[in-house]
Amino acid sequence: MADENITQKKEEPKKKFKRPNKNYAVKKRLPLRPVEGDNVIFITKKTNFKAQLDKCCDLLTKGEKEIILHGLGAAIQRCCNLALQLEILFSGTYQIEVNTGTVDLVDDLEPLSDDLDFGSQVRHSSSIHIRVFRTAMLGANQ
Amino acid sequence: MLFFRGFYCVKCSIFFFIISIIKTSIKMDETAEFDASIGGTEHLPYTANTLKFAASRSIEIAAMTESILRPSKTKLIFQNLPVHMRRRVMSHNAKRLPNKLRAGHLEQLKKSGLPPKQKRPSRKYRRRPSNLLEEYNRRQKNNIWLETHIWHAKRFHMIERWGYRMAYAPCDKAFRACYRATSAHCLIQDISYYTPVHIMGQEAAIKELFSSVTSNSCGLGICAKAYTDGKREGSIHLYEKNTYPFSYIGKLQFIWDRNDKSKSLWLFVHPSQIKQVELLLTDLINDTFHCTEKRRKLMNNFSENVKIKFLPLTFNRFRMTGPKSHAVLAHSIKCIDNLEKIKENKWIKNLKLSNLYLNERYNYWQNIKNATSPSQIPSNVVVGLVVRDPRLCRPKHRTKSVIENISLDVKPYLDVPTSVSSSPLWDCDVHDSIKKQKLSNTQFIEHITKTQLVPGEINIDDPILQSIPIVLIQRPGSQHSSKKIGYGSGWDIIIPPGYGLQFWQTFIMFGARSGGHRESEHLALEMGDYYLPPDSKSGKEEEKRIETELRNKYFRLPPSKRVNYRKLGIVTPFICPWKILLTDWSDSSVNDFFVLRDRKLLQTLQDCIINKKKLPQNENTASCLVPVYLKIAKKGNLKQNAIICMPEEGDLLVMPQELPCEDPNEKIRKQKRIEHRRQLKQLKRRRNKLKKAEKQVCIYNKSLKCFLSFKYVKVMRELWLPSNIKSCRYTCSRQILGFLPQAGYSFSESRSCGVGFIAFNALNTLLMKKLNQVLVRNVSSKKYRLANICLKIDQ
Repeated sequence: MADENITQKKEEPKKKFKRPNKNYAVKKRLPLRPVEGDNVIFITKKTNFKAQLDKCCDLLTKGEKEIILHGLGAAIQRCCNLALQLEILFSGTYQIEVNTGTVDLVDDLEPLSDDLDFGSQVRHSSSIHIRVFRTAMLGANQ
Repeated sequence: MLFFRGFYCVKCSIFFFIISIIKTSIKMDETAEFDASIGGTEHLPYTANTLKFAASRSIEIAAMTESILRPSKTKLIFQNLPVHMRRRVMSHNAKRLPNKLRAGHLEQLKKSGLPPKQKRPSRKYRRRPSNLLEEYNRRQKNNIWLETHIWHAKRFHMIERWGYRMAYAPCDKAFRACYRATSAHCLIQDISYYTPVHIMGQEAAIKELFSSVTSNSCGLGICAKAYTDGKREGSIHLYEKNTYPFSYIGKLQFIWDRNDKSKSLWLFVHPSQIKQVELLLTDLINDTFHCTEKRRKLMNNFSENVKIKFLPLTFNRFRMTGPKSHAVLAHSIKCIDNLEKIKENKWIKNLKLSNLYLNERYNYWQNIKNATSPSQIPSNVVVGLVVRDPRLCRPKHRTKSVIENISLDVKPYLDVPTSVSSSPLWDCDVHDSIKKQKLSNTQFIEHITKTQLVPGEINIDDPILQSIPIVLIQRPGSQHSSKKIGYGSGWDIIIPPGYGLQFWQTFIMFGARSGGHRESEHLALEMGDYYLPPDSKSGKEEEKRIETELRNKYFRLPPSKRVNYRKLGIVTPFICPWKILLTDWSDSSVNDFFVLRDRKLLQTLQDCIINKKKLPQNENTASCLVPVYLKIAKKGNLKQNAIICMPEEGDLLVMPQELPCEDPNEKIRKQKRIEHRRQLKQLKRRRNKLKKAEKQVCIYNKSLKCFLSFKYVKVMRELWLPSNIKSCRYTCSRQILGFLPQAGYSFSESRSCGVGFIAFNALNTLLMKKLNQVLVRNVSSKKYRLANICLKIDQ
């Protein structure tokens, strides 16, 4: 079912995207987010790497049982690096579990001339979801 | 290991503590030995694993650190309250504390002695409520109050602007909290002062009407296909008749209302521009006889067909900004799904019931309800809904709203059904009957406490309270990766009159944070927009207002505490002299100027700046200002009215400093001061003489003194800041390219940013030098800082 849908969607908008139409301006929307929470971190390319690493460390030392890192597109590599850094820093106490997937992104097509209507297109982007979870007892604040 | 590093000291201390316990226990039980080496039974290991040892004592360590971090309470109850809940003289007046803390607070007070009992308020005060309404009505005569005025007046600094009394900033110093609300939570502002203008008529007539006052190069026109079906809200730049690009008026939002009878247009105009727009539109309609023969026929038709109504305060318009604004809305709005539920309501009696599309509306809202941010929804979409009275779905306490069942399906966000965007709200006859049928808060409370089976219990489907049509308008915020995507996105909510406060309070209870006018200005700065551009009349007035404000503040300081702007090479510290700047950068004198809004041209300019290419030549370049968004490259802090300067050779490597300039007026000021004092002394002596001689004060003498000091102050001010300025380009060591009227620290960029304007020719000269960075300097500083130029192209 799901696969069929995706293939159907792919055909039309992808053509449009590959040859960017001069009549439209492509504007990005925020990607749909999975469940949000204190322990869910979306890794970006803009935010300082060290800052996000520190944020994760803080969460883990405070006794969070698991944190979930999401990375999208170009941020996948950063996301992996961060998870590996965490594994080194908390060696033995935390493990990581990696999932990859594809996320649908929606773009607005804003018309540049008066006789066109608004449109939207779906793009696909690869994504990574890393779960860092506790294996050994940390001790404090159980 | 990180954990143990952190608790190293604690671990050591516990280790020694345990050893000492073991030692004492050995001493006490001398009869029964423990260790096998001295005759006991137990064999102790030779090594101890520190990790294991500490891990098995982790609970004690945790308890100990807990008690170190939080020692037993020493503060009073009211001192523990968060900042936004603190009130003045809280310790004396228990009623200013939240209810559940009062008992404990009184207990604490008893220990330190109760404060003296408060006086009975005066009779005048006790009798106030009877006169309160009258007083309120009197006060509303000068400045218009919004519906939420009294709510705001209790919590906000109120200012008078553009004929309205509006909230400026919350009293609890929540500047950063308000920013955080826009970026991570939900900020709500009452912007009902935007005046709706209703234009009825045929589409072609309206198109013709606006053709002479707008330009196609600034973006989509008012009758673009994208907008005429009423699904999206658009915005246009309005100019005076046939003067483009000069005489800018302002940016308007508009929505097409698509009834089956006729189409009509709703404009939302900023209150600073409403008078100009009113003049312009009435002029356009009446001004048919001066046209050529050909067009007169057309225009005559329009003047009959097109009707314009100005309807200030017909709607309440609330602006929500921030990702959580969708959650707040999803919680506080209960959409109605079928006609049966609202049959009783009087306001639908005159409407065609088939046009309500209740089911479609309900389904669409149900589909998009679970988005995590408003920026996931089609941009600028208009959604008309019919919803339950907001008082029926309030939480008991202020809560944070969270979206729960999130789906990752993008389908509902792709398209907008046409039937959803129309709304009965646009019909003004409906408003009266809604207002008449409205239950006041007292009636509502009476209803739920006295007539319900369980007093105080609220039934969501209560038929006594009518349902209300509202319109939601999405704002897309940032849609380009140069700024955090989705920053500044949110919803605008249009509510019929009478229901403003009810909706407002529900939104607040669901966790929206309220902001004022200051937040609008700051949000514009964060987005890189200019709130009121200087080439419009409203912008010029705003500039003047700010100038007088800053000027008065400056001259209230004693002379020794005043910054001597002359010595810093700044001629106009409080206002940006655009005309003088443009004249300096062109051959002829410039009388009128304009801000570049041509999208295509701005795009090419952006490319030129990135590639350090020469700018294309255009007409009117001499009087053209280019809007720029500057970001500090390295260090430095920008403030209002900073100057943008041309870097010279070597400046990019070592940041230059301004050398102190000569102030030619300094000596004159000193002389004047001495002279003035001498004069005053003379007058005093003369007065005393007269007093002795005739025993009465000479009135003439006194008024002379007043006159002299008035004249003196005026002359001195002129000497501090001369008003007749001929040029400003070469006033300091680097050439001035432009100014930054609005600048400050931008939280979203985590550096200082500013929005300002550079003269077109100046930008050209800069790029000819193969530079695309500029120097900026605050008016009260000697240091130049490096900044990068961006252009803001979006509408």
